[in-house]
This record gives sequence, C-alpha cells and structure tokens, in this order.
Amino acid sequence: MKQEITFKINGEACRVEVDPTWTLLYLLREVLELTGTKEGCGYGECGACTVIVDGQAINSCLYPILEIEGRAVTTIEGLRKPDGELHPLQQAFVNKGAVQCGFCTSGMIMSAKALIDENEKPTEEAIKEGIAGNLCRCTGYVQIVDAIKTVAGRGRT
Amino acid sequence: MQPCRDRREKQKGSLITGNDKGVTVAGFEYHKPHSIKEAVHLMESLDNARFIAGGTDVMVLLRQKKIAPAHLISLRNIDGFSDIGFENGLQIGGGVTLNEIVANDFMQKRYPALTDAAAMVGSRQIRNVATLSGNICNAAPSADTACPLLVLDAIVKTTGPQGNRQLPLDDFFLGEGRVDLGAGELLTGFHLPRLAMNTGSAYIKHTRRQAMDLPMVGIAARVTIKIGGNEIGCKDAFCTIDNISNILSKLEDEDLRIEEVRIAMGVVAPRPVRARKAEAALRGKVISEKLFEEIAEIAATEAQPRDSIRGEAWYRREMVKVLTKRVILKAVDRVLRPDDLIRPDRLW
Amino acid sequence: MSDWTTVGKKIAKKDAPLKVTGGALYIQDLKIPGMLYGGILYSRYAHAKILKLDTARARRLPGVTAVITAADVPNNFRFGFMKDNPPLKADRVRSTRDEIAAVAATTPEIAAAALELIEVEYEELPGIFDPLEAMQEGAPLVHEEMKSNILKIPWKLVCGDVETAKKESAYVVSDTFTTPWVTHCCLGTSGCIAVFDANTNLTMYSNTQIPSLAQNDYLDALSAFGLKNSRVRIIQCAIGGGFGSKLDTYAYEYIAILLARKTRKPVKFIFSREEEFFATSPRQCSITTISQGCDREGHLTFREMEMILDNGAYTSWGATTPSVMMMPISSLYKVPNVRYVAHCVYTNNTYCQAMRGYGNPQATFAIESSLDQLAEKAGLDPYELRLRNANEPGELTPQKFRVTSCGLKECMAEVEQRLGWKEKQGKGNGRGVGMASLIHVGGGARVYKSDGCGTIIKMDDRGRVDVMTGATEMGQGSETVIAQIVAETLGVNIDEINIINNDTDVCPWDVGAHASRSTFVAGNSALGAALKIRKQVLEAAALNMGEDQAALDIKDGVVFSTQDKEKSMTLSKVLRKAHYTPGGSMFTADYFYDPPNENFDREFKGNLSVAYAYGVHGAEVEVDRETGQIRILKYIAAHDVGRAINPLLLEGQIYGGGLMGIGYALGEKLIYEKGHLKNGNFLDYKLPTAKDVPPVEAVIVETDEQAGPFGAKGIGEPGLVPTAPAIANAIYDAVGVRIRDLPITPEKVLRALKEKAPADAGRSGI
Repeated sequence: MKQEITFKINGEACRVEVDPTWTLLYLLREVLELTGTKEGCGYGECGACTVIVDGQAINSCLYPILEIEGRAVTTIEGLRKPDGELHPLQQAFVNKGAVQCGFCTSGMIMSAKALIDENEKPTEEAIKEGIAGNLCRCTGYVQIVDAIKTVAGRGRT
Repeated sequence: MQPCRDRREKQKGSLITGNDKGVTVAGFEYHKPHSIKEAVHLMESLDNARFIAGGTDVMVLLRQKKIAPAHLISLRNIDGFSDIGFENGLQIGGGVTLNEIVANDFMQKRYPALTDAAAMVGSRQIRNVATLSGNICNAAPSADTACPLLVLDAIVKTTGPQGNRQLPLDDFFLGEGRVDLGAGELLTGFHLPRLAMNTGSAYIKHTRRQAMDLPMVGIAARVTIKIGGNEIGCKDAFCTIDNISNILSKLEDEDLRIEEVRIAMGVVAPRPVRARKAEAALRGKVISEKLFEEIAEIAATEAQPRDSIRGEAWYRREMVKVLTKRVILKAVDRVLRPDDLIRPDRLW
Repeated sequence: MSDWTTVGKKIAKKDAPLKVTGGALYIQDLKIPGMLYGGILYSRYAHAKILKLDTARARRLPGVTAVITAADVPNNFRFGFMKDNPPLKADRVRSTRDEIAAVAATTPEIAAAALELIEVEYEELPGIFDPLEAMQEGAPLVHEEMKSNILKIPWKLVCGDVETAKKESAYVVSDTFTTPWVTHCCLGTSGCIAVFDANTNLTMYSNTQIPSLAQNDYLDALSAFGLKNSRVRIIQCAIGGGFGSKLDTYAYEYIAILLARKTRKPVKFIFSREEEFFATSPRQCSITTISQGCDREGHLTFREMEMILDNGAYTSWGATTPSVMMMPISSLYKVPNVRYVAHCVYTNNTYCQAMRGYGNPQATFAIESSLDQLAEKAGLDPYELRLRNANEPGELTPQKFRVTSCGLKECMAEVEQRLGWKEKQGKGNGRGVGMASLIHVGGGARVYKSDGCGTIIKMDDRGRVDVMTGATEMGQGSETVIAQIVAETLGVNIDEINIINNDTDVCPWDVGAHASRSTFVAGNSALGAALKIRKQVLEAAALNMGEDQAALDIKDGVVFSTQDKEKSMTLSKVLRKAHYTPGGSMFTADYFYDPPNENFDREFKGNLSVAYAYGVHGAEVEVDRETGQIRILKYIAAHDVGRAINPLLLEGQIYGGGLMGIGYALGEKLIYEKGHLKNGNFLDYKLPTAKDVPPVEAVIVETDEQAGPFGAKGIGEPGLVPTAPAIANAIYDAVGVRIRDLPITPEKVLRALKEKAPADAGRSGI
C-alpha cells in the first residue's frame, strides 16, 4: 500500500508517494530520476550508492524508504552551487585525476564530503578509513586520496 | 541487522509472487513505532512480522530472498532507544549504532575491546546505521562485537509480552544464527558491568584485507593485572618495536600477574565461545613466554574451526594460538596506557 | 618539447566534470520509451541433459512479452571465435553459466518472477573440472562431437635449439607455477539495450570496447537470424570499466537482439552483481612448467615453457592468450633459445577471455619467479642477473620483435635505487625486496589482420574542432590524450576540441581498445589527421594573409607570421572566410593509421608491435612469520612509456594497474567448486579497498619512441604485469619461501614456513 512521505532532497522539499518495499536508491534513480547515484552491487558492499542523509554517509541500496521521512538527503546532483560552480571536492577530483571510468565517483565524493564535514582535517589514514567502503577498480585510490587531501583542511564544505 | 524473533526456521520467499493469475507484489508493510511498548505490541499482533533496526542485515536477506516478512517493524524511531548511560558501568540502548560506539570517548577508554570491534565492522556507511543489538541478534559466528561483549561480561536486556528479562550474553547465544528471544521479544539494550581498576581489554580481527571484511578468526580478551615490579619497566617493554618473546620476558621480569581474565573467540565454533580452560590456566599467574605458549595451545583445543571458502580450519586453529597471545598483550598495553596503545596497533 | 602547451602536461580528463556531477549516462541510466527488461535463466548444473524445458507458465504471466529458448535461435547460430557457443543452449548444458532461456517483461521484477516460473528438468551428468584430467585418453568429452577435449589450436613457438642450450648451460632451474581465475570487477556491470527500427535495422546501446568488431559480430548474427540487409549502429554509453571484459561479445547481447526482434520493442539487459561475477568471462587461469638456464657469467641460454590452459566449456579469447604469452617468453631479456607449447582444454568450468595483460601476467609470474631461482643457483644478485640480460634498443629478439626504444635498464636502476636494494636485499630477517620486469606491446599489436584506427576531423566557423575517432574511452583517458595531441598540433586550446567516439554511424573504423594501443594507434591516427587539417588551415591562411605558408604558425587559435608578429588571423576568421565565400570550401581531414607492424607468420614470429613498452616493479615486504601475512612496505613501479602525453592520466594507469596486480598477487581468486562459483560477491572476492593500498611510487621513464605520437608508447596494461613475481620474489628474500600458486595467501606462506623449518616457524616474532 503506497504511502506519502515528505523529506528534503538537495535542499528542496519533496513530497512523493512510495511503496514501503522501495529502497532510497530505487526512489532516487527510478522515480526522481537522479541517476548520478549508482547501483554497484545492491548489498551495501561497494559504496557506489552512497548518499548523505542528515549528515551521515549511508548505502542507499539498503536504506528502507520510509525512514527518509523528515530527513535531508544530499546526492551528487546537489553538490554544485546554483551558478554551476563545482563543489571543491568535485573540482579536486577533476584536477587530481581521481576520475577514470567514473562509476564509483558519485559515491566516493559523497563519502568524502561526509568525512570532511565531520572532521575538517582528516589524516591520510582517516581519509582511507572514510572511503574504505567505496570500491574503485580503476584508480588504485591514490589520486582519490590526493584529491580529498587538497580539500581537507580548508574548512567545512 | 536487526533485533529479531527466534529464527529457527529460515523462510524462503520472494518479494514478488508470480503465478498464472498475475503478479502479486508480496511486499511488506513498514511500521514505525515510537515506543518499545508499541513495538512489542505490533510484533504480538501482526502475523509474519520482523524487527528491523539499521537494516544492513535485513535488507540484504530480503534481496537474497532468504526471508519474506509481511511486516517490518522499524526500531529506528523509538524514544530513548539510542541512549547511552553510565550507571553501574555502561548501558547501551538497542538502537545505538556502531559509529556512535566508536565515537564514544568513555567506551574507548574503559571498554576498548568493544570500540575495537565496532570500528572494524563493514564500512563507515554500514556503521552509521547498523546497531550493536542488530550485530548480536543476527548471531553470525563472525559477529565482531560478540567476543568483546562476552569478555566484558555483558548482560542482555529484553522485553516482551511476558515482561522484562536480563540474562548473560553467554546464555543469549544459542547457536549459529540463533538467540534466546521468545515470540514478540525485543532486545532493548546491554549492560556492561563496572570494571575493576587495572583492567584493560582488546579485540583482534584477523582478516584478508584491511577493510570491509569478515574475520577469519576474531579474539577478544579482558585482563585485570597486578604488577609486582616496576610499572615503567612494563611500559618500556611495549615501547620497542620488539618481538613478543622479548616483551613477555620483560613483563615476567617485572612480575606482572594476570589477576582476572576473560578470553572469547569467534568464527571457531557455531557461536562465539569463551576459552574457559585457557582462562583458568592463566588466572592468577605471572606472565611468561612459557605460560603463554601453554595458554595458546589450550585455547586452540577449545576452538572447533571449520573449513570454508573464507578460511581453512588448520589455519584458523593456528591463528587462535597466535592471536590469543597478542590480544592478551594488547589488553595489558591498554591497562598501562588507556589513552592510546603504546605498541602501534598495526604490529599486532 | 619544453614549448609544448598541452602534450606533457597534467591535464584533467575531459569527461571528468560530467562524471563528478553525476551527469554521465551509463547503460544503467538509459531508458528508451516502451523498453522491456530482460532476464536470463542459467543452468543449475555444471553438466547435464535438459530433459524438459517448459516456459508456458512464464509466458502466461501478465507483463511478460516474450520467452525464448534455443528453439528460437535460427540457423544453429553460434558466436565466439571458434563458433562453439550458442546464445541459448539446447539439450545439454556444459557449465553453470549456460543460458537456457530468456524473458522480456515490462518491469525487472516481472522478468525475475517469470524466470522462477520456467520449469526445467535436468539429468545431471558427471562433470570434468580439472584440465589435466580432461586431457587424458578416455576422459568424458565436453563437446561430444569433438574427438578430444584438447582444442586444435597449435600454440607452439620454437626459436633456436633449446635441447643443446640446456645441455650446455652451467645452471638450470625448473619449476611449476599456477595462476587462478580472477575477474575484472568493473563497478558498472554489463548491459545493453537492443532496438530495431521499422526497417529491421539494429541499434545497440552498448558497453563494448570493440565497436567496429562488435558491429561485425551483430551483422553476422542478424544474417543468421534472417536479416541479411540490416544495418547495425552501436552507440556506446559511458563505460563503467572495461579492463578487457568488453573485448568480446556475450550471449546476453544476442539474446537481447532476439528478444528485441521478437517483441518489436527495445529490450534492456543489466547484469546484477552476481551475474557479473559468474556470467562474465574471467582472466585465463594457467598451469605452467618452466625451465631456464644460464652460462657461468649469468647470460641466459634458454627458456622452455609448457602451459595447460583450462578453456572452460566454450571458447573465447582466453584460448588466444598464448599468442601474447609468447612475447615475454621469447623477448623478456635476451634469451637466444626458446621453446613454448600451450594446450587449451575443454572442461565444464567457466570460460575465459581478455583481461588486462591478456596472458602476460600469467607468463611473467612464471618467468620472473623462475629467474630469481636461477639467480640463486648461479650465486648472483637477482638485480645483477636482470641487468646482465636486459634488452636494449635496436635489438632483434628470437621472435623477430624489433626493439626500438627501450628503457628497461633505466627502470631497473630506478627500482634498485628507490628500494634501497643493496642495503635491503639478502637479509632474510622477515623483510625483503624483490623485483620483476615486464615487456608488453607499446606500439599497437597486429593480432588481427588490421591494427588500424581512423580519425576524421572537421572544424566549425568558430575555429572549434570536432574529432571523430574510432578509439573507445572506457575511463583510461584516450579521449583526453587524443584531444591533447590534436590541440598541440593545431595550436588551439584543448577546450576547443570536441571528441566524438561513441557512435559507429559517425566514427571511423578501429579494431578495438585492446593491447594498450589507444595512445599509440589512435594517437598517431589523430596526429595524422590533425597535420592534414593544419595544412589546409595554413594554406587558406597564407592566401588570406598574403604570407608564405612556411612562415606561419598557430598558437592559442591564432594563425600568425613568425616573421612579423603583427600579421595574424584568428582560426575562426580563416574558417569563416572559407565557408562564406562563393564556391567556398570546408576543412575536413581523415587519416587511417595502421602501424607498420606484422602479423605472426606460421611459426608465430614477426614484429607484432611497432614499439615495446618495458617496466620494472620492485617491492619491499615484511612477512609476519606467525600469521603468514604480507605487508608491502614500499612499492616502486617504473615504466618506460616513451613519452608521457598526460602524466596525470599516466600515473592513474600505473596506480590502478598496480593495485589490480597487487590484488592478483595477494588476494583475488574466483573460488569454483565442481563448476559452481562460491564467492561471486564483493564480500568474499577480495578486491583491494583504499586501506589496502601500500606506499607506492610511480616512476615515469621517457625514452622518446620515434614512431609514437610525440614519442609515446602504451601503458594501459603494463601496470599489472610484473606485480605478482615482484612480490613473490620479495617474500622469498624475506623468509626464504617461494609461493608458486597465486594468490599468495597467508595460509600458503605459513604452511611453507612450517614445512621449511618446523622448529623455526611459528616462533614469536615479527
């Protein structure tokens, strides 16, 4: 039986009818057509589906949709400034070669953002811990960590 | 991960039931009670219902079609369920997430075996929503937080139609995937008793890769020590990047005695187990390399590891020997310096 | 060189901004109106007869538009280069990834439900899962119509006289090495959308790395399906990882075509992660016996190798890996006498195809591990032995490879120095160092009759440049490198370059993104076209400016006279003048670059590539003697790349390839039991995480390859060729045990330590 929920998505209020069996990932991709968030495994094992809910990075493929009621969701689409300027993390990923095929990138950037928002000056170890749940097969992670380092220490993003 | 009813029967099912007549979205209703009473009442009154907390276990089981509940009762919106209290030691509510445990200073200092384990479960994303109670109720032999809770003498608090219960965690585990929860019963929290002075604890998780892994073997230990000789000497023993032999002989020189000890092992039996014989052999004795070799062998006999794609039995047994020594020493290190390990973590 | 404005610079990837904003469209994201979702039913058994296959209940399910089986595949169509693989299997299944039936439905959930309603009755047959067993006389046949399980592919390379060389060698070593199945684990799973238009022309939205060849494959299929005059158009979405996994066509693509034809609607397939693990084709596993010898001075005298390759139930590119394996076997180091034989054997296991390195990692693991064994026997430092036998520029190898640029010695020196080799080698105290070299094709590879790639360039009034290339961008950066080459040649800013690379209706022919050939071949092709169009531009500008063409140059989109800086004209003005003149003209240029390399002759000899990439990896490891765990303290990856057109992207290939190689060496393995995959998920298949990255240094050695665009050679694959032996050699240096079977797990190390010195092993220590 469908239910109506209200929540915030990338700063905007959203009211939508959902089936309780949906995951947040399903809502984002199939209903709201925000396809920036990816499904890499569907089991919470790869992190490609990572989005931020109330400041915390979570796997949207495992997030029951009704729990989003009243919460604020940020996806990759919500990082850019209204004038189109890239978020510092996005710009750093571009500049540092942290993007190859790009499939892990959305989830990776969201994990990085959640990390830096919580811990302004993460050490290299903390950065690796922060993205340990995001698998990448292309980059070997080195340039990803570099990119996050350039933003770390600049203050809240 | 979810606090759950007795799962003696594994249900097979599909989210969709297809037949000639049409597709029925078998689906489920999702309930969000705001009190424990409401949650228990829902469980009592609904047919084919299941509790769900963080969801990181339940959602996977649903996707794998290993369960097909008609109702999910969420525990994420229950007032007071995520409280952490410090009466009589430590009180951890059923809704407390693993990252809340990792971030808790008090737990890091006093109950570090638990924070060690919580920090190593899954990924940050998982730990942000997964609960301690869910990790325990799922009762996988590999549940990281089980062994630390066992050595910390954790008491499980439940509530249900018959009222409230308290029981030692050791009695709560019934076997692989099975815990002592009756129909309608819900795990509401854990009580970890106050620890004596000079007590330290630690957990070591033996994995293949550095993150996102299940343990091949996991061992936790808690020790209360008494130093006959010089405390500085003991601290010095850990300072050098030295091998364990040398650390042990220095501690022996300083007459470091293990007054009280608990050792628990995971993945080497259908449920996490205490190495009681090893404990008995260690209790009250002065540390020495010879003693540790004996304890390691005894602990290995108390383990019944299996061959699986995740590890070979002979190797797991060997790791029980190796890690028993290491985890006890790490726990001793914690007594000597509660804020941070003297000997770097990666060396264990 | 120093006045290059784009080449040699660390320039951000052109597609990166779109990808970091979530705007790139992968096959997962694409929807077409009226689209149906496909699903495939796979065999439950590794070897069985299908007694009954009843799809009636599935067909009746509301929302199901079509259900097909082998009976719906016309003309006994088979794909795969041996044509032994039907897209849907009839009567008999030979592996657990055999496709038996497929459905198309209005939602993915209904498709999944329909699969559950298909009734199959099997008669299980005994399966054969060991290639050594399968080779025996009287072994049950995987394909009954063949006389033997051994494929009739004559992989044999003989150079010189191995027998005599063996007898005359001062030192000889022999051993056996084995490597497992590992898989690509692209984060974006496989998928496609097949759409027919009103005239039965097919468009495939695809992830392929080989658009022109796939086009051919689909045309063959359409012909077999009764559509002889159809056209095929392939539109590539953003590709979520390739690494060779998209180098062949798969059953699901032909199934999609059949369903699209039957339903007259677009049909989409997306693999779940489980399917990606068990239904795509992994890296070829191998069993290698190797013998190597040298004289008293440590000069290599011979190398003899025999390989047995588990071919699985059907044939794909795994069976051709020996053609690449021959390369290190004959040409890594100076070895005058070489003998190599490889047998591919049918079993009821999964079948293999291309994966980054294409057989080179497997062969190099054996060769470089064995070389260290030889060094020990000869009493030589492993670095010294390598240096003594290193390839040099100008060499002709026994397989008739003409080595042009070669930075092998420089790479060795880098590793030796950065690891601190002299101080650290030979201590045996739980810490050790090891190195291993690689050779790979760096200037294309003539594996087919063509090694070509086409480029078409056109310019608009504003002076902006459209480059249509046959090269595929799958994340490695070929798009950006090509843009850099064109920008540099034309004297324009890279932002003015637009690359079109994903539509066979528009893009010129290319043989595929394989063999690390994109920078070299597509780059040279782009360079050739850019030079042509530059000439056109300068000719027109010369006329307009009243200047001698030879005196003109272009910089920042402005044509100017080198004699008189005041005389200048923007490119856009040149273009507009050309267009807006009665009887005007336009500027376009095309160039097809087919490198001057050679196909192998009947003896598998010939200059396969125009240039060869070399490299050396070195590792410093620490072995925990009690647990067998390996910690990499330092990793050096030195690569001779000719020229780094974009050091940022190049480092990305080295780091990415390196970590993939470390996974291969230390943890990755597809675990099959009697043909059933046991660890087809990210929990039990140990892909390295960010926390598993060791301290790694990427060292770029530039040797300026004359034949390469701006001196560049290929880098896509070399990054993981020597990782496993470098680590295995370091472990031997550290604790004196040699692991000959990948991956090198703690269990294997501990077991070897215990066998070596039962009293020593397990003693407390680091």
